Amino acid sequence: MNQLSLRLCLGIFFGVGLMLTNFSCQRVDPNRLRLELLPEKDNPLVHLRVLLRIGSANDPRGKEGITQLCLNLLANGGTKTRTYQEITKAFYPLAASVDLNVDKEMSVFSATVHRDNLEKFYAIFSEMLLEPGFREEDFHRLKTDQLNFLERTLVNNMDEQFGKEILNLMLYENHPYGHHEAGTVETVKSITLDEIKAFYKDQMVQGNLIIGLAGGYPDNFPAKISADFSRLPRGFTPQLKLPMPRPADGLEIVIAEKDTPATAISLGFPHPLTRAKDDFFPLWLACSHFGEHRQHLSWLFQKIREERGQNYGDYAYAEHFLQGRDKFPATNYCRQQQYFSVWIRPVPNSHRHFVLRQTLRELQKLVEAGIPEDRFDLVRTYLLHYTRLYTQTLAERLGWQIDSHYYGYEDFLAEVQERLPRLTKEDVNRAIRKYLNYQNIYIAIITKDGEALKEALVANTASPIKYANPRMPDFILEEDKEIEVFPLRVKPEKVLVVPASEFFQKPGIPGKK
Amino acid sequence: MSTSEGGRSMVRLTPVLLILFGLAASVSAGSSDIFPYAYKIEQLENGLIVVSIPLPFPNIISYYTIIRCGSRNEVEPGKSGFAHFFEHMMFKGTKKMPRPAYDDFLTRLGAGTNGYTTDDYTCYFIVFAGRENLSRVVAVEADRFLNLYYDEESLKTEAPVIEGEYYSSLSNPDRRLWELLRQTAFEKHSYKHTTLGYLEDIKDMPNQFAYSQQFKERYYSPDNTIILVAGDFDHDELMKLIKYHYSSWPRSNYLLETPEEPPQTRPKRAHYPWPARTLARLAVAFHGPAFSDEVVDKAALDLLAQTSFSPSSPLYHQLVIDEQKCVSLNASFPDRRDPYLLIFSATVKKDEDLPYVEQQIVAELERLKTELIPVETLAAVKSNLRYSLAQDLGTTDGLASTLAFYLQLKPDPQVLNRLFRLYDQVTPEIIQQMARKYFRPEASTVVTLTGGKEP
Repeated sequence: MNQLSLRLCLGIFFGVGLMLTNFSCQRVDPNRLRLELLPEKDNPLVHLRVLLRIGSANDPRGKEGITQLCLNLLANGGTKTRTYQEITKAFYPLAASVDLNVDKEMSVFSATVHRDNLEKFYAIFSEMLLEPGFREEDFHRLKTDQLNFLERTLVNNMDEQFGKEILNLMLYENHPYGHHEAGTVETVKSITLDEIKAFYKDQMVQGNLIIGLAGGYPDNFPAKISADFSRLPRGFTPQLKLPMPRPADGLEIVIAEKDTPATAISLGFPHPLTRAKDDFFPLWLACSHFGEHRQHLSWLFQKIREERGQNYGDYAYAEHFLQGRDKFPATNYCRQQQYFSVWIRPVPNSHRHFVLRQTLRELQKLVEAGIPEDRFDLVRTYLLHYTRLYTQTLAERLGWQIDSHYYGYEDFLAEVQERLPRLTKEDVNRAIRKYLNYQNIYIAIITKDGEALKEALVANTASPIKYANPRMPDFILEEDKEIEVFPLRVKPEKVLVVPASEFFQKPGIPGKK
Repeated sequence: MSTSEGGRSMVRLTPVLLILFGLAASVSAGSSDIFPYAYKIEQLENGLIVVSIPLPFPNIISYYTIIRCGSRNEVEPGKSGFAHFFEHMMFKGTKKMPRPAYDDFLTRLGAGTNGYTTDDYTCYFIVFAGRENLSRVVAVEADRFLNLYYDEESLKTEAPVIEGEYYSSLSNPDRRLWELLRQTAFEKHSYKHTTLGYLEDIKDMPNQFAYSQQFKERYYSPDNTIILVAGDFDHDELMKLIKYHYSSWPRSNYLLETPEEPPQTRPKRAHYPWPARTLARLAVAFHGPAFSDEVVDKAALDLLAQTSFSPSSPLYHQLVIDEQKCVSLNASFPDRRDPYLLIFSATVKKDEDLPYVEQQIVAELERLKTELIPVETLAAVKSNLRYSLAQDLGTTDGLASTLAFYLQLKPDPQVLNRLFRLYDQVTPEIIQQMARKYFRPEASTVVTLTGGKEP
């Protein structure tokens, strides 16, 4: 059960009647903005975070990409009185810039400045958000950038991300999450500047905003920022009522075909948990065991990379994951619905069938046998210590505070310290059995000769591999004999082979009705 | 102090401060210093340098081992990428603590840990919570560096991982452009290849067991290593631990000779045809100086890069915002131990605009030779650099990772103070002199990349 703090629910009132609160608890007035404060008097830096409780899932149908384009015009465009050139010039000596992250249901403008420069920076920053210029030239520039990203960069310059985005299309077909934040070529082309202005007017309302402040800001700064942003109209966008994503029916595979010597694989399926639920904790521990992000701890990493040298790394996640500083999770990507996923970094094409088999075989073993006792203890100890490193920067501390409140905690990371010691191996295995499976999975593959792979998958052709090391240990070679013929139940009608260039042209999976 | 004379560089370290063996220097931050923390620096008799920075931020400790060996050290044919490969091998454990036990230790510690390899150095870090864990970390890290053990089989299994790492970035055109630029601009120096190395050399790594042993003996030695510890700990306790665990590490005394890069006498060009659709890329590079905290050239060029190519510069405004020919425009003058490149790069929306963008970059460089940049522009750049550094140094690990880079160049945090004092000395006239000195057409290399046809 979520432990909500009475203090948070009551809120702390400022002169202008705004409250510091948890927005998933009972709100006094959902039409007004909220503050998240994290004062650190001695810190010479100040971190600002303006968070909107809307994201690409709020894009109207046919206008996919509008949230990103609209907010990007605020972050990287001029205001009513200043051109974007003037803004970059003013920010430069302050070493300041405004970052923007848009996710499905949450978008964040953020900046860190030295407190010497807070006043100068804030004067412009607030103008950018409150008095945007919506200039034709900025609109043209940023719209072109967004189209170039979709048409050229995403599909041709970043295969690992491309694979993850295809998986997203599969997980959330006909669902508000089911398009890239940047939208599609067709829908972005259709967006007009008037539509952007109207979108801003509808969405930039007080109740959609959470303003975060951390570090050594002056005492009167929260009241000032509250007063300024209270000039926005009252109102809020109701949280989306999301449909349940469709579970995979067997192994559903989409192969994006392109000329490449290496194969990128992402796979996964939706599950009903978020951090707000008790069962999230054991599932998270299970996924940390199976594939902790970029750590040797990951079981898949051990089996695929360490034992066999197949690729650079192999990881699994209990929720949507973005890497923040170093290898730590990024914050403020909160969602109502989450999914399990596995990320297999590129493997030589000649090993792709083998590695897919090995991954699904390991997943089957996890679901059927659960987590071994020694691993349970190891992973729990790891998480208890590793999560203490998550909040080293101001941005991280404030980001985690906001995320904690989103999911109904006063402090999620404190909750981790409280709950993990009480978890048992049985709790974890129960969560594994309940929420993971090895039969109904969406699989996105980027590779060459897609039809050949499809044929091999459907026919369950044996897929032995060769090693550079002529004296591989016997236990690996023995296990390989099982992996290379490990049966995958792939039905031909569940495999779609599509040229890579056809993705993101319009909403949905190309070639699919 | 490392020296770089005629392409010859000594590997052995001597701290910049005149510290006698076994003696420590304790330095407080002066009022005009950009580096804001007090620190201590000591050197063991075997040459190992320890920089210790106890910080007021609670609980976190960053433990960095900096080996002054990177792809620059790969001077022999067929060995490109070896420093990076060896970094992977450094995680294979010891007889006393084999790999599974090492992994188990770090996992239970819940440490943020990794290694990375660059042109000039390789860095291993462990970031962890709890000062009570420091003694184990020092013992385990010392064991790893003194007693690394792996057999030929485990090397053969690790080698294809590098190929996998190469494939992970294969679809990134910037990586290919970067490879092409270095390959074209350098004739002899080992900066000719990237840290990852040539694919044919990567494929041959399984056969390099004997060389890997030689590589370790040459470069993984105390006289080529700096340990940087920042965070919540006691200096005396740290030094006691380090002396106990590292003192038996034998010196290498190996002298690396990096090939001398001959002066470039004619402009060079190269092109990379990217098979798929992509935005066009352009890089214009000139041979420049090595990093220095004593001679003003490199510092002045750093400021030049910012005045004329940062997002607040007139040329950026023209090409990216007004004319919208480019998605991005950058100047990158990396600090390297040996003379390196001054690189201007752009991502260009239309292939046919590549010549125009190149011409505009070159015209800007010519303008810098004849017109003085405004004093206020220079002041804005200096302000930007100071505040950027203040942000970088704001956390334990931010400080450690930033300082690690500078320590491998000069093993003393004073390097940052000296560098920023050089920045303070730079005037518009000095910038003009540097433009005239370095941006000579015959020392230029231009590389381009364009994508395939529309489908």
